[in-house]
Amino acid sequence: MISTLRSEWIKLRTIRMNWVLVAIALAFPLAVSALFVAFAEVGSFDGADVFGLLSFTTVVTTMLLGVVGATTITGEYGFNTIRPTFAATPNRLRVILAKMLVVIVVGIVTTAVVVVAGLSLCTAIASARDVDIDLGAVDGLVEASVGLVVFGTILTVFGLALGSIVRSTPAAVAALILWPLLVENIVSGILGAVGIDNVSKWMPYGAGTQLWTLDSPDAIGGLTEGLGRVGGGLYFGGVVVALLLVGCVFVSRRDA
Amino acid sequence: MTVMVEGLTKRYGAKVAVGNLSFEVNPGVVTGFLGPNGSGKSTTMRCMIGLDRPNAGRATFQGKAYSALARPLHEVGVLLDAGYVHPGRSGRNHLRWLAASNGIPTKRADEVLELVGLEAVGGKSLRTYSLGMKQRLGLAGVLLGDPHTIILDEPANGLDPEGIRWIRDVLVHQAGLGKSVLVSSHLLSEMALMATALVVIGKGQLIEQSTVADFVARHGDRWVRVASPRVATLVEALRVSGARVEYLDDTTISVYGATAPEVGDAAARYNVALHELTTVTGSLEDAFLRATASVQEYQGGAR
Repeated sequence: MISTLRSEWIKLRTIRMNWVLVAIALAFPLAVSALFVAFAEVGSFDGADVFGLLSFTTVVTTMLLGVVGATTITGEYGFNTIRPTFAATPNRLRVILAKMLVVIVVGIVTTAVVVVAGLSLCTAIASARDVDIDLGAVDGLVEASVGLVVFGTILTVFGLALGSIVRSTPAAVAALILWPLLVENIVSGILGAVGIDNVSKWMPYGAGTQLWTLDSPDAIGGLTEGLGRVGGGLYFGGVVVALLLVGCVFVSRRDA
Repeated sequence: MTVMVEGLTKRYGAKVAVGNLSFEVNPGVVTGFLGPNGSGKSTTMRCMIGLDRPNAGRATFQGKAYSALARPLHEVGVLLDAGYVHPGRSGRNHLRWLAASNGIPTKRADEVLELVGLEAVGGKSLRTYSLGMKQRLGLAGVLLGDPHTIILDEPANGLDPEGIRWIRDVLVHQAGLGKSVLVSSHLLSEMALMATALVVIGKGQLIEQSTVADFVARHGDRWVRVASPRVATLVEALRVSGARVEYLDDTTISVYGATAPEVGDAAARYNVALHELTTVTGSLEDAFLRATASVQEYQGGAR
């Protein structure tokens, strides 16, 4: 297993596109949040607003991490390196497991850097402008920060799962973007229209976003009517694990 | 024997790509895997190493299925297609992930890179490699784990004549070390220079397994070339005895259906001086086309 992990890590780090994606994933939320804190009117924002903006822009980060996760497998099918991969490691489940562990590490590190660097950077810029955003006073900040890291990590596995099912990079990326943006809204909309209410909380991605939603009543979505931080996170994580298992079955059954 | 293929069958829908194919690959020689395009050579190789699931049959390497090999690169080196690389990766990094997957030290990757003469371009991205360079890289990957069995699909593809000679020397050398080498190729003349044993398939079926010499003897034409200043007299005599004769020019003929001693005896009887008396053997290519054509006829007739 250690050999397979080492091999998958070499594969991941020797594709330049992965570094580009991670760089954008880091830069985007940091840049937007820093610009906001640097130029927004003094007194118009507090710590909750700063974290809200940081976490919301980190959605882009998590999407890009999903793309990294997806391409670890779709890239192999696309360039046919899946064949030498499975020739070198006939146990395909071990390959998928190694890919999962490697992208989980990338997901944790990237999102953790975004959260820690983002909050530090915003605090520093604010204090340079003599504004005290007092993050310590924000309810549930630590929980939501950890939740954001967990969410980013789940997204990398989500990408890997979709990638192992559809095997093509464009299809996996499309599914990764359309699922949260479109599919969940359409499904809950249709179900709502035919009288089945209260389904939106069961939309997996939407439930997962509660991982990083602040407890305050005016925060996006709010935590009061959904499955809650832990419940929503477990539910989304469970759906992703189920998808990955489906992907494992597909990868094992199909000719490479 | 090292490699046994037994009753291998692979269907894609209703189409039988490989049907009940059995053959073996023995150590110490290069075994050529011959068949027309689309005859199932690549499918057979993919089934052998578990990339495709056969519908029936199995392949074993020293008694073990490929999927049962813990670190397969140490036992079976496979190159299906030199193009199975990520274009953004360097040649060296390609070998490194391959090596790491089987616990092979990184320095071995550099060693094989040098062995195939790519050390100068090892750091360049594979996008910039020619097909010939990718073939060399692929062979480096095969040699990484110093396996007892080597399986290559069309390794001479895209190589220049010097490269073809090089790969032939490498494979013959590896076979000489006691390894089992299975090489598919459509370059039959190449195969004649490299392979000692042959597995010939057509439409996914085994046509025959034999040595190259036996195969040519069985399927190749043999005839006698004769030159004589009084060739017309000889032709008369040979035709009477039932041989078939073709004129090459005024003084040279090809004789079918008679051996060189028989032609020589006939010439002596009629007091005809001979300037040439040569037994000619058809090429492997001729033998191959003849053998596969018969199977295709058979298959066409059975439909």
